[in-house]
Amino acid sequence: MTPNAAMPLNSLDVFFLGPEIVLTVWGFLVLLVDLGLAHRLSAAARRRTVGGLALVGVLLALVTALVVWLVPLSVRSGSETMESWFARDTIAYFFESDPTLFFGTIAGDIQTGSFNILYVLLLGLVLYLSMAWDFTSEWGEYLALMFWATVGMMLLTAAEELVTLFLTLETMTICLYLSTALEKNRRRSAEGGLKYFVYGSVSSALFLFGLSLLYGLTGTTQLEAIRKLLLPTGSQGLSGNVAGATAVLLMMVGFGFKIAAVPFHQWAPDAYEGAPAPVTAWIATGSKLASFVALMKVFLHALAPWSNSGTSVLGPGWIGVIAIISAVTMTYGNFAALAQRNLKRMLAYSSIAHAGYILVGVAAASVSTRGPRAAGAVLYYLVVYAFANVGAFAVAAWLVRDKKTDDIDDLNGLGYQEPVLATCILILMLSLIGIPPLAGFFAKLYVFMEALDQRNADQPVTLLWLVALGLFNSVVSAFYYVRVLKAMFFQPPGTRRLASASGPIAAPIWVGTFIIVVFGIAPDWLMGTMQAAAVPMLTTPVEVAHTQAPAGPSAVSKPAPAPSIQYTAEQLRAVQSSMSGSRGTMPTPKKAGGRGGPPAGQAKRAPAPSGPPAPGKSKAATP
Amino acid sequence: MGNDIPLTWFLYFAAAAFAIGLAGVLLRRNAIAVLMAIEIMLNAANINLVAFWRYGPERPESGPMSGVILAIFVLTVAAAEVAVGIGLILLCYRRWHAADVDRYDSMAG
Repeated sequence: MTPNAAMPLNSLDVFFLGPEIVLTVWGFLVLLVDLGLAHRLSAAARRRTVGGLALVGVLLALVTALVVWLVPLSVRSGSETMESWFARDTIAYFFESDPTLFFGTIAGDIQTGSFNILYVLLLGLVLYLSMAWDFTSEWGEYLALMFWATVGMMLLTAAEELVTLFLTLETMTICLYLSTALEKNRRRSAEGGLKYFVYGSVSSALFLFGLSLLYGLTGTTQLEAIRKLLLPTGSQGLSGNVAGATAVLLMMVGFGFKIAAVPFHQWAPDAYEGAPAPVTAWIATGSKLASFVALMKVFLHALAPWSNSGTSVLGPGWIGVIAIISAVTMTYGNFAALAQRNLKRMLAYSSIAHAGYILVGVAAASVSTRGPRAAGAVLYYLVVYAFANVGAFAVAAWLVRDKKTDDIDDLNGLGYQEPVLATCILILMLSLIGIPPLAGFFAKLYVFMEALDQRNADQPVTLLWLVALGLFNSVVSAFYYVRVLKAMFFQPPGTRRLASASGPIAAPIWVGTFIIVVFGIAPDWLMGTMQAAAVPMLTTPVEVAHTQAPAGPSAVSKPAPAPSIQYTAEQLRAVQSSMSGSRGTMPTPKKAGGRGGPPAGQAKRAPAPSGPPAPGKSKAATP
Repeated sequence: MGNDIPLTWFLYFAAAAFAIGLAGVLLRRNAIAVLMAIEIMLNAANINLVAFWRYGPERPESGPMSGVILAIFVLTVAAAEVAVGIGLILLCYRRWHAADVDRYDSMAG
């Protein structure tokens, strides 16, 4: 019996891909419309027409993403309108099916849905920003590539399986290589594109080789199945496993390129400087966000058993490598940024430094006593970082539009010319430094607190030195961000003045500032949401492998949906015994926070999961 | 599989091909040669995937042809990368009239 015959594809799975489908189709539509108009209209006129059409598409995708997010939520809360709208078996689908789609390759839970909304919002800002001036004449190609890169990001965030992860990673980056090179009248755009391409595809090849070794070691590409196969290695971590260590290192190098971590960062400054400012913004925010989520899925979920040997950071296991990369990345990024005169290049090095801080959170999440919820700090950091950077790159776009250069000195005197917007930029920069009332401060605080959250005596792995280095680096970073502020507020305006910022440039700055201030004053909601989102991302969505076995009763789901990544010895024994023997004794354990779990906003009020969890509850709610 | 070529031979071959590809990326200066080296690296991974599928542990839950299907996907991705890579190299060649990656250095720092 072939395995796939046991589990037919449910056509309702397509519903959860709504935003992706809308964006893909709209990409083609924009491309065709632009093709039709190409000979009739000038580039500027096409920018307005096709750009407006693209923004309509973003709006449509936003509506779709909201529907995909809200419908399962309200169906599960027992809404009567929903029950009258849908057929009975459709309603049953929302209750019963596992939270992964398409044979367990893509996660379809509510949290992934909320990330789709985030991507569409960011894409809307970036595309609106690109309406500011004519940096390219290929508007159809540009907009279509941005749409498809977003589709790659959404599916990368949802990928629960290594083949899907690789394919979506490539979808995302190949679109971004091309959009980097689309500013055809500038030399450095082509150069940035080629450099991004060469480094990017080498990193893909390294990642793929690591993936092939991992496939050879485990025989599967499902993240959850890999994790289960590695769990029996227990506390030995990677010691003595050369092939495993090679696989982990190669995959880490591959991700290191994508997130621009030192020493794999060389492409980043050139690609950031060469790309048109909106594309840079999308590389720095969307692709980084998606790559970090994928990195966490691979390392904190599938490869979690190889994290550390439980004795020291530098023992066998990947946490030591992550910690060292993180330390080098933030230090190098910050010191290199000090020397930059070009705003985009400075922001590139600053984004390298931020990747270092975020990696502290990744290392912390693998040893934190709070398990996957600790990764919520990383997600919070990523969201805050993304909005602050979209605003910061809007400033770069402003400079390029009006002065054709993007040096920091070109900002001279902006504080007198545009006091309100300059104050917004001030807030963005202060947040990137990490000044207290702003969201950037809480992002760093949460990440560093997770690193110090090691109360469990069985886990003496300490990351104190990494946190100390992170704090030192935050101080260093203040110097180069303050140079932007100094240029704006303490330098006399030059002869060439910036024209007033039009809507497309002001909007990302406004929105970025708004998000930074709101989530700085009230960080709890976003933090709770992100912690709730991290749990289904990093624990198992479903029993993928074993339900398909024709012999066993289909009610058996995963043996122990332990919410914590770090298993205590007791839990480990329970997992192993339930894996080997007592199959079928546990009643349908379904993970909390998945499709049957509480909605994102409520999840944070649930008690923190600890210890061996109770069986799931969602089946009971079936009408 | 009694008289088959042992798995390790495939793995050594793939590792050697991968190392050659990596060396090519790092040492060759011609952009086209770099592209070819990247292809060698991807194909080395493909050899691994197919060999592991043939010799690896039997896992019916991951499908009947998992490694082979993965390899086909990788071929598709590699084709897409070549198309994009050639396009970008052509774009740079028109600007610099050279396919030498060391010449593309208008940005530094």
